[in-house]
Amino acid sequence: MKKNSEVQALRQLGGLTSTRVAELLAQNGPNVLTPPKETPEIIKFLKEMVGGFSSLLWAGAVLCFIAYLIEFSKDKSASMDNVYLGVVLIVVVILTGIFAYYQEAKSTNIIASFTKMIPRKAFVIRDGEKREIPAEQLVVGDIVEIKGGDQIPADIRILASHGCKVDNSSLTGESEPQSRTCHITHENPLETKNISFYSTTCLEGTATGMVINTGDRTIIGRIALLASSVGHEKTPIAIEIEHFVHIVAGVAVSIGIMFFIIAICMKYRVLDAIIFLIGIILANVPEGLVAAVTVSLSLTAKRMAKKNCLVKNLEAVETLGSTSIICSDKTGTLTQNRMTVAHLWFDNQVYQADTSEDQKDQIFDQSSATWASLSKIVTLCNRAEFAPSQESVPIMKKVVMGDASEAALLKFSEVIMGDVIERRKRNRKVAEIPFNSFNKFQLSIHETEDPDDKRFLLVMKGAPERIMEKCSTIMMHGQEQPLDESTAAAFQTAYMELGSLGERVLGFCHLYLPEDEFPDTYSFDVESMNFPTSDLCFVGLISLIDPPRSTVPDAVMKCRSAGIKVIMVTGDHPITAKAIARSVGIISANSETVEEIAKRLKIPVEQVNKREAKAAVVSGMELKEMSPEELDELLTYHTEIVFARTSPQQKLIIVEGCQRQDAVVAVTGDGVNDSPALKKADIGIAMGCVGSDAAKNAADMVLLDDNFSSIVTGIEEGRLIFDNLKKIIAFTLTKNIAELIPFLIFIIAGVPLPIGTMAILFIDLGTDVIPSIALAYEKAESDIMSRKPRHKKKDRLANHQLALYSYLQIGILQSVGGFFAYFTVYAVQGFKPDRLLYLRPLWENDSLNDLEDSYGQEWTKYQRKYLECTGYTAYFVAVMVQQIADVIIRKTRINSIFRQGLFRNKYIWVGIASQIIIAVILSCGFGSIPILNFTTLRVQYWFAAVPYAIVIWLYDELRKLLIRLYPGSWWDKTMYY
Amino acid sequence: MAALQEKKTCSQRMEEFRHYCWNPDTGQMLGRTLSKWVWISLYYVAFYVVMSGLFALAIYTLMWTIDPYTPDYQDQLKSPGVTLRPDVYGERGLQIFYNVSDNTSWKDLTQTLHTFLSAYSPEAQEENINCSSGQYFIQKEFHAPNHTKFSCKFTADMLQNCSGLTDHNFGFEEGKPCFIIKMNRIVNFLPSNNNTAPRVDCTFLEKDHKDFKPLEVDYYPSNGTFSLHYFPYYGKKAQPHYSNPLVAAKFLNIPKNKEVIIVCKIIAENVSFDNPHDPYEGKVEFKLKIQK
Repeated sequence: MKKNSEVQALRQLGGLTSTRVAELLAQNGPNVLTPPKETPEIIKFLKEMVGGFSSLLWAGAVLCFIAYLIEFSKDKSASMDNVYLGVVLIVVVILTGIFAYYQEAKSTNIIASFTKMIPRKAFVIRDGEKREIPAEQLVVGDIVEIKGGDQIPADIRILASHGCKVDNSSLTGESEPQSRTCHITHENPLETKNISFYSTTCLEGTATGMVINTGDRTIIGRIALLASSVGHEKTPIAIEIEHFVHIVAGVAVSIGIMFFIIAICMKYRVLDAIIFLIGIILANVPEGLVAAVTVSLSLTAKRMAKKNCLVKNLEAVETLGSTSIICSDKTGTLTQNRMTVAHLWFDNQVYQADTSEDQKDQIFDQSSATWASLSKIVTLCNRAEFAPSQESVPIMKKVVMGDASEAALLKFSEVIMGDVIERRKRNRKVAEIPFNSFNKFQLSIHETEDPDDKRFLLVMKGAPERIMEKCSTIMMHGQEQPLDESTAAAFQTAYMELGSLGERVLGFCHLYLPEDEFPDTYSFDVESMNFPTSDLCFVGLISLIDPPRSTVPDAVMKCRSAGIKVIMVTGDHPITAKAIARSVGIISANSETVEEIAKRLKIPVEQVNKREAKAAVVSGMELKEMSPEELDELLTYHTEIVFARTSPQQKLIIVEGCQRQDAVVAVTGDGVNDSPALKKADIGIAMGCVGSDAAKNAADMVLLDDNFSSIVTGIEEGRLIFDNLKKIIAFTLTKNIAELIPFLIFIIAGVPLPIGTMAILFIDLGTDVIPSIALAYEKAESDIMSRKPRHKKKDRLANHQLALYSYLQIGILQSVGGFFAYFTVYAVQGFKPDRLLYLRPLWENDSLNDLEDSYGQEWTKYQRKYLECTGYTAYFVAVMVQQIADVIIRKTRINSIFRQGLFRNKYIWVGIASQIIIAVILSCGFGSIPILNFTTLRVQYWFAAVPYAIVIWLYDELRKLLIRLYPGSWWDKTMYY
Repeated sequence: MAALQEKKTCSQRMEEFRHYCWNPDTGQMLGRTLSKWVWISLYYVAFYVVMSGLFALAIYTLMWTIDPYTPDYQDQLKSPGVTLRPDVYGERGLQIFYNVSDNTSWKDLTQTLHTFLSAYSPEAQEENINCSSGQYFIQKEFHAPNHTKFSCKFTADMLQNCSGLTDHNFGFEEGKPCFIIKMNRIVNFLPSNNNTAPRVDCTFLEKDHKDFKPLEVDYYPSNGTFSLHYFPYYGKKAQPHYSNPLVAAKFLNIPKNKEVIIVCKIIAENVSFDNPHDPYEGKVEFKLKIQK
């Protein structure tokens, strides 16, 4: 009543006048968040077109046109091949760009934007009257009224409150309702109870407050600005691809220049030499790789989405795989995000309750009479109720109206005893005092269900020490006993023990009111408390905890064996945090904190050698005192770290600390205030269920089920795709050499060109595409979760071993096979290899229509051209056949193919079939289209390169065998990629 | 996502590169120590030696399996190409333009013919035998010296007026030039199956020259035929001294100061001249313009 009068008084003040409002509005602007600078779609689209590989292809396309122009200026009838190639390159870039853009757009659209959070209307007192205005028009100094269900329209300072509770989860991620009063409880505006923040929700009660910040100056506005100012930089895979492009470009340019010089020395014309240079660079561009990599990444993204990891940015797929530190939230991610009964104490004994997700196996002793009484109190002294019409929903999934602890107790009793509501009906409630922070207990008085028993039952629950104060007896095995020293001591021990587990402990007591003093007509008055609240009978303790998700301990173990450090960062109390950390294995069973060592050795904390302690629990206060060097030290020397009572701002500091260790950091978060940390992290993971939109906006990945173990699955996928990308790149690079060598031999030895541009394009963008994508489906060779995360600076995607092995060994072998096929088809038609050497000037002479072959036969230009195309086809088929061997050997990098299983990855066979089918179609079907330069090849020449394919396969098996036999040897270091 | 890449200055990059080229701490050059370089080079040398060996073996086997006298396949040489002398190529194919009154404009052309016919001098044809059968000269056995087969003589004088012996200028001077038509060699090729000798037939390209009188041509040897005793050709190894038979065509009524297109076809059962892709298969087309 008093509070209501305060509100009245405030109303009397009348609030701001319209003129003042107009002034302030002009001065500070409307109460809206400046939307984050949205990159225009077209820019996003263009970005996809120029990054990484694409730039290589663009350069290639430009070179093509330059080459054509040079040739054209020389000879008007220059071959259009280079133009076609240029056009194809551009088409490839644009298509892959569109594909990547589409992929990104699809995942981004799911994430709603900030604007959703803006409250629409507000009740404000202006000019002495209450009116409803759009929230944008609020100004500093306005008096606003809020009630349950409203969103807070601006940052406000509470002037009067009536049972006001707010949900700050959109800001902090902690969904526990927090009460709001007009008292200052903390210096920190984020902690104090008299400030309520923009975009949070008022759950219940009413309040009146004064606007203190609007728009971008609100806490949430500042965070949004901070989040948008933290740069979004290159992902590890983008860096790897850049590195790869450097390798390819380096090889291309150096070979190109080398042969430019050679060509000049061989007295070729400079113009010809330039065309050769361009040709060599072009032959090195892996046209199909961009597509293959994009497709593989999106396949993995799809697979991850199925496992509840929604990836916003394709490249984040791999980033997750190289993660070396995970900074995880506790609530909701590691835990189930609901209070659950964990332990019970009655009859002087601690019982454990089942805290798993379904709580089916409650194994504690339910035969004791004390349990009967305790269960009655639990059931009756509880205001929580199931929301209506959810009969078919399993108990654990039912929505409960009421606070978290009460809901936990309601579900607990529902599971054990069945219909709670029915039981409450049988024991009609006649009076009730709800829990408040002053009393620290909750009390209700009921009629008993026994019709003969006319006594009233008074039940009470609350903070254990408060309950204990009110009791004079204690129930043991159903019998009331006086509370003596020893039982009090036992109570204390149990209370401390449960408390030390980080659990919220509640005490329960009851009293049967004597029938003579309280007849059934007695009128209970909760204001005057005309009933006893002391000398009650203590029944037991129940402790509650937000239990870990059952899959989490396994997932943490997996992380540990995968060399990933899991750091818990929570706003919770250190004791609770530590208890959860222990139960999920973030702090393993046998490791101790400095404090624990001190306790065990009975020495002061300062004397403990900090290096001995593997675990550390650091509170936000301690973190505040730390210098960056100290934080570095902490992160280096402790493998198991829990940060408790941290403010979301400190999360950013922790992330930065981890990144200073060269770690790839994954951070989970759900609140708006997590968004800077999410952005800063190498991979930000937002929670799909409880996460705020801002967090989802800032994150690279959204965890649909909020479950930590999904992250681990994601990591596994990320690591797998990294390995598979290596295989894809190795596969793709190999035939680049087989496409390049012909050109070099053409320049040096003057033979007719062994393979034409079109055939090269048909390898890169035809036969090789599906097999390379199929490699993305390859299963892991060994347990990828048992090795250390890759070092982002040392373990490269395309390392020099890979380049050397692909380019200088398998690539050269393929060229040899190709040349064998080429020489064969020329020889059987009359041109023996010795005749071909230095034949080029004559061969390409358009006005020579009687060129002699080895047998003295004479060939017209067209007949030679046709034979040349047959040569292209033979070389093309030879490369295709050897690429079949290549795709098979690339299935594994260290294991034998037979161990991996030839048939486990069906897609490889689809790929191989596609290679053969495309080649057959090209050779037989399109042989008549002159522009494609393919001819029909005799059946036996399809097999010309088969021995080389077998050699490739055998050689690679030998390589793998030696690597397995001599790990760490010179061979291993040189040949393992 | 975070700042993974710290910005490096140019000098830092240069320093890094220098460090990569020569790292004094570990003695590494370009990322490897000297001994590592030696090892890896040795390995690659060995690898390439083995591979070259394999390739050489494969090529050797290939050569060993190939018939030295006849190519394994002749599917790409079904019909012989035809060439023309003198052969001057312009933007699109053969074009012979000259001015009767300016002898420098045709001196080169006649010189080409003289050079070409020098291979048909009696001295050059000494090794070949005289033939007059007019029938296919089928030789199953190698009766000629050094395990070869005989080839028939074709000497320039068989071209009579166009031999360059009587008229040193091949008629160019009077605007009635001689052109020599040669059919390409194909091993074991028989122009027809019924003993009809292949014949050269030159005409104006019809569609362009409807209003002209038909082209008048003198062919040498008479009828413009390639005698059948020059066929079949048994290949370079069996007939090292073989020379193609020739037909000379002397055009008598070329309109002056006008560009004409002439096509000379080979009329024979097994010679086709209608391949749309190959302008020189079975026929030769050329532009001729005689100025006065």
